[in-house]
Amino acid sequence: MKALRIMLVLAAFAVLAAVPWFGSDVLIQFGINALLLAVLAQGWNIIGGYTGYASFGNSVFYGLGSYGVGIAMAQWHLPFAVGLVFGVVLAVTFAVLLGIPVLRLRGHYFAIATLALAQVMTAIVSNVELAGQNIGLVLPPLNNDRLFYELSLGLLVLATLTVFWLTRSRFGFGLIAIRENEEGAEVMGVNTTLYKTMAFALSGVFSALAGGIHAYWVTFIDPESAFDISLNVKMIIMAVFGGPGTVLGPVVGALSLSAISEFLSSEITSLASLFFGIVVVVAVVIMPRGLADMLRRFRKTGWRYFAENIRTHRL
Amino acid sequence: MTPALEIRNVTRRFAGLIAVNDVSFLLQPREILGVIGPNGAGKTTLISLISGTLAPTSGDVLFEGQSLAGMPAYRRARLGIGRTFQIMRPFPGLSVLDNVAVGALFGHGGGHAKLAKAREQARAQLEFVGLGKFVDQRADELGGPGRKRLELAKALAMQPKVLLCDEVMAGLNLVEIDEVIAVIRKVRDAGISVLVIEHVIKAIKSLSDRLLVLHHGEKIADGEPDSVLANQTVVEAYLGKRRI
Repeated sequence: MKALRIMLVLAAFAVLAAVPWFGSDVLIQFGINALLLAVLAQGWNIIGGYTGYASFGNSVFYGLGSYGVGIAMAQWHLPFAVGLVFGVVLAVTFAVLLGIPVLRLRGHYFAIATLALAQVMTAIVSNVELAGQNIGLVLPPLNNDRLFYELSLGLLVLATLTVFWLTRSRFGFGLIAIRENEEGAEVMGVNTTLYKTMAFALSGVFSALAGGIHAYWVTFIDPESAFDISLNVKMIIMAVFGGPGTVLGPVVGALSLSAISEFLSSEITSLASLFFGIVVVVAVVIMPRGLADMLRRFRKTGWRYFAENIRTHRL
Repeated sequence: MTPALEIRNVTRRFAGLIAVNDVSFLLQPREILGVIGPNGAGKTTLISLISGTLAPTSGDVLFEGQSLAGMPAYRRARLGIGRTFQIMRPFPGLSVLDNVAVGALFGHGGGHAKLAKAREQARAQLEFVGLGKFVDQRADELGGPGRKRLELAKALAMQPKVLLCDEVMAGLNLVEIDEVIAVIRKVRDAGISVLVIEHVIKAIKSLSDRLLVLHHGEKIADGEPDSVLANQTVVEAYLGKRRI
């Protein structure tokens, strides 16, 4: 059973890795976007799914990653890799400086506090000359979608392996304990402040790397698009759709929702976002704990699983 | 001998309410100290002040002679202070085994680094408290009595030097109470000092070496269980004054 699952994951990975060699340009471009969204969902999974802190601040990490690459390449003429590292440094610094005060808040208060961060960052970056103010930065173009695709896929694998490691490490157990009962975790010896901040930073590292790759790929960034809050909403929807607090849930959620969204917007252009909204609402009602949980329970309870979820919603 | 715990003139105020008022006492090594008192006497607050989830307004708590002032709860846990919660707070989504493994991973001395080792220890601890059959169940599927034992196993997996039990017998039937009493005695025999808060007077009388009574946040008696329970002030606190 376990061997079968590993084989399936490896097969899926092989297919994904081969896409740039048989797929069309459109498919590759869709793939890059979908893979980067999956990285974001997986990154959010660390702080939101495993630690239980619904962060709306991950789009800030994404923006910092974009600007790390943007500033390094456009202003300082440094290589891409240096830009990625710079972006990660910015994100980690931000996570530590703001995480310590903001992670004292719980539940809705934490969500609202982080929600404000993206707005603040847009305003700040718009006034920094090094970051091109509100005009933005133009990066040197690199016309190699295959490379960007494989880079994104590699990053997604790295993020997923990190989350897998969480499920069987002392650190990951500390995070789960915080999610399940923070006071209980504290009296059992978990340094909750340190662990939460580390989870926030780790989550930020992946968002920043995704932002960096995206910036180099699209070769243009401005404050509005780099610190776009709707991106944060997307990563949450995707992670929750797939199953927060599971290893593969956010990846499956991100890839399937990206595909649905792409299909809808090419088939029924005008009403696409409406249909997408309906898909999300229905998903939340009939499988509130995500695809991963649905698959696990469906085997035991069958169709009753959906009926029970609908009943608990009192519909 | 240095006492396991020394509570020195500890006071805790919540706005206008004084939950714990200038309380001092010692917990000796390998002693079972029972703390009783009517509802709202400040018993749970006292445990929170020792475990570090609340800070005292004034006064100090010493662990093996070392002041714990300003020390966060997780560091106290690593020094060797384990507690259970009256309102049972398992990690609901985790298995019973992993609930206890958290204690083994993080408890006294920083715990084990390896998950497999921690789970092994957790399994032994669950056998010890009589939950051996439920290791794979989710913690929120356990019933009340099971959760009480789980709280105990979680605290014990930390391998504490001092165990603070907040009403681990409430809601249990007589047979279950006897089983928990036996477990706590074995814990003490393993060299752990135990502070037990309890409502079930009969149980705590037979279990405790010494009994301490709180009333309106103040210590009103401290001594041999029999003499404390015969004490006039204690009787009045529980039953009220006799009017003739």
